[in-house]
Amino acid sequence: MMPTTSATRVTLRAEDIGKAFMSGKVRTPVLDGLSLSVRAGELTLISGPSGCGKSTLLAILSGLQRVDTGRVFALDQRLDDLDPRALERFRLLHTGFVFQGFNLFPALTAREQVELPLHYLGVPRREARERAARSLEEVGLAHRMALRPAELSGGEKQRVAIARALSKEPALLFADEPTSALDAASGQIVIDMLHRIARVHGTTVLCVSHDPRLIGHADRVLSMEDGRILNDRRETTPGVPTEGLVP
Amino acid sequence: MVALARKTLVHEWRRFLPAILAVGFAGLLQLLQAALVLGIFSSASIYVTGSAADLWVGYPGTQSVSLGRSIDPNVEGRLLMDPAVERVEPFLWVDADWRGQSGTGGESVYVSGVDPRPDGLVFARVLPPALRMRLREPDAVIVDQADMDKLGVRVGDSATINSYRVRVVGASSGLRALGGVNVVASLDTARVLDTDPADRDRPTYLVARLHDPAAADAVARRISGARGFDRYEVWTASAFARRSVLYWMLDTGAGAGVLFLAGVVFVVGAIITSQTLVAAVAGSVREYATLNALGVGMRALRWVVLEQATWVGVCGLLCASVFGAALLALARGQDVPVVLDVPVALACAVLTMGLTTVSGLAAIRSLRHADPASLLR
Ligand SMILES: Nc1ncnc2c1ncn2[C@@H]1O[C@H](COP(=O)(O)OP(=O)(O)OP(=O)(O)O)[C@@H](O)[C@H]1O
Ligand SMILES: [Mg+2]
Repeated sequence: MMPTTSATRVTLRAEDIGKAFMSGKVRTPVLDGLSLSVRAGELTLISGPSGCGKSTLLAILSGLQRVDTGRVFALDQRLDDLDPRALERFRLLHTGFVFQGFNLFPALTAREQVELPLHYLGVPRREARERAARSLEEVGLAHRMALRPAELSGGEKQRVAIARALSKEPALLFADEPTSALDAASGQIVIDMLHRIARVHGTTVLCVSHDPRLIGHADRVLSMEDGRILNDRRETTPGVPTEGLVP
Repeated sequence: MVALARKTLVHEWRRFLPAILAVGFAGLLQLLQAALVLGIFSSASIYVTGSAADLWVGYPGTQSVSLGRSIDPNVEGRLLMDPAVERVEPFLWVDADWRGQSGTGGESVYVSGVDPRPDGLVFARVLPPALRMRLREPDAVIVDQADMDKLGVRVGDSATINSYRVRVVGASSGLRALGGVNVVASLDTARVLDTDPADRDRPTYLVARLHDPAAADAVARRISGARGFDRYEVWTASAFARRSVLYWMLDTGAGAGVLFLAGVVFVVGAIITSQTLVAAVAGSVREYATLNALGVGMRALRWVVLEQATWVGVCGLLCASVFGAALLALARGQDVPVVLDVPVALACAVLTMGLTTVSGLAAIRSLRHADPASLLR
């Protein structure tokens, strides 16, 4: 597994970015002159009140949305001047996502959910099956591989979604409110899992949440309000083992 | 490859059932109307399809068997000169007026003058040899069982055709005509009935049997190309039969009716199917958006929707085939005239798959709601 020395490398960078939404004739600025760097190998949590622009920031850093002004770099590549096809390609090669909703296909088993993106990545069929199994093992669902979403609990579904993102072996993993549809215990498991992924795989994990319970589980917490980052805190005692992902 | 489209179809079959039924129903309607119309109009070519000839030679430009004009009898020699030709036989068509015994009003009849030899080519498939031999008696005619009442006669009765006395010596079956009544006579009798002086000693058609029926196309082209005598045209039996059926379909407007109904069925089927597919895409739009967030291109997602439409089409076609086969068998059992050949069945299948493809293309448009940024809230 990747050593923690990469924890120092900056993989995501926003420089003086601005974003506003038009609702009718009214222009509502959401982000204004925001700059930020995120490092690999750690879990960075962006927290703040509802509507402050956290999800918008995540969408911009992950190449899902465009900025109005400023520049965005991911893995030393400028994202803000890529065309939509190139952005899709960048996301295919480098990013994983975990959303609040699990967004699993009802017809597919856990293993097929995880396999599906791998095919589009060009992974051969057999290898895809093996990688899917490995990722599901990593999130502790080895015994649930053949089940469909209707047969899984909420926490298990979110773990399938994590395995789906993880099996692509992305350098960047984005999570938007990954725990807010879950009970406290399941949320705990999920955030710890994301933390371990950052440590074990050297992945850049950027998580966005308004849930204050997650703060203790992150390596670094950025507090956001009204489209700005007010506070950048590094947790000195992460206290998460780097072996195995399953608690 | 994870067969997302197919697995979704199987897992959520209830959701797709309306589309499958719409496609199946559209396919079934196309199939049945084609079979019925072909069945009705196939009697326009019974003279050709009921005969054992490989080639038909008639007046140039003849659109349908019933519209023939007399040709030079010396063409027979020209045909026999070709080494591929085994036998040639004349066929006489006479439009005539029938009066039954009771002296009621006239019926217009089509008299077919055929060679009464037991192995004669014309109507070889309709008239059994024994029945055919009876045409050798002087003034003998055969009428179809189904036309007896209309003509007011029974076997053994006499009647007049173009004021000439004839005797009904037998009843055929399956010889009903479009827009008239078929009467079969020997060539000699038919010549007597023909009152048009221009037709004197001239046949309406010459039919030929070839040593090798498979060579019909080539021989027809060869003989057509070398015109020495009078003007004539050569068709293969299948081409002339098709020509006759097509003429009637277009002449009566039935062809336009078929196309109109096919269009209506296509549009209604496509509307129902596309609505169902749109709903199915909308039901999975967040999952599609997630795949797009993970980098799966929109183009690949469109293929998934199209594949789903294709499966719906295949399932619908299967339903249509099963029900269609059952209904056609039922219709045949009830003497309803239905005819279906492979090209027409294929055309129906292609039309039905076209319908599902159009529906799939319509459903693709709802993929634009699969915006991954909308998953971040
Ligand atoms: N597509 C959009 N069109 C118009 N306004 C938008 C759009 N997306 C976001 N906004 C607005 O931008 C602001 C920030 O939205 P954002 O989703 O980033 O908030 P958030 O911090 O993630 O909130 P929450 O914690 O509730 O998820 C909100 O006021 C929202 O109304
Ligand atoms: Mg949000």
